[in-house]
Amino acid sequence: MPNPIVRWQIIAPEPARTAAFYRDVFGWELSAANSMGYRELRTGSESAAPVDGGVWPSPPGQPGFVQLFIEVADLDRCIAKANELGAKTLVPKSILPDGDSMAVLLDPTGISFGICRLAGKRPNPKGPGDVRGSV
Amino acid sequence: MHFRTALKLEFCRRSGRNPRYSLRAFARDIGSDHATLSQILRGRRSLSPRMVRHLGARLRLEPSIIADASAQQSAEAVLRLAQSPGFRVHSRWIATRTGLTVDAVNLAVHRLLHAGDLVMKSPTSWKTTRPHYA
Repeated sequence: MPNPIVRWQIIAPEPARTAAFYRDVFGWELSAANSMGYRELRTGSESAAPVDGGVWPSPPGQPGFVQLFIEVADLDRCIAKANELGAKTLVPKSILPDGDSMAVLLDPTGISFGICRLAGKRPNPKGPGDVRGSV
Repeated sequence: MHFRTALKLEFCRRSGRNPRYSLRAFARDIGSDHATLSQILRGRRSLSPRMVRHLGARLRLEPSIIADASAQQSAEAVLRLAQSPGFRVHSRWIATRTGLTVDAVNLAVHRLLHAGDLVMKSPTSWKTTRPHYA
């Protein structure tokens, strides 16, 4: 199975301001009407598989960064394989309120990334990103 | 370090320098009252993030330490709620019940997940793996 990048996430010190900025500059649709209050940004792509994103708060005093989410068929296997190859698990496998599953890992060079398995067609991990590793 | 521990250590430090330094004096010096501080130190009263910020500022702690302690108290508030009957897996609901912002709730959830104190087992169920601190 291919493992496409299906999502991006900005970890931001000022998430409301960050989200509004990208909405205003690019005309993206911003909505936080979901159970996590997650600021979703829909880019308006007409692709069959649009890569939408969102904004998640960073802890006080930590810088913002961008994180990519890769879709995998089996989170447990992917986590095991990544850890075998030197990654660390930052956020273990978590099942989000909308049914999507996700985890956040730190690669051997210190860059964090997410993996997810989407419950529905909508590419939306919508959940806690790593807020420790900084790209 | 847990903020309560920091408070205890600071009181010990001050009373070590001055054996006559009382808890009442400590409460006065940090802008609290004796009964409240006593309950906090004994774990009988929870510390709100607002109290942490207030007391941290009076103790002249580094802003980063205060911010981290405040975030930790937010996490404890979410953990406490997650262990109560009727808990709902919904950040806005949690925010309303704890008095935190949705962003603070989500940061707290992340902190708990990262520490392994919370597990999102299903779309409707979160499992906590340790008791909350008061």
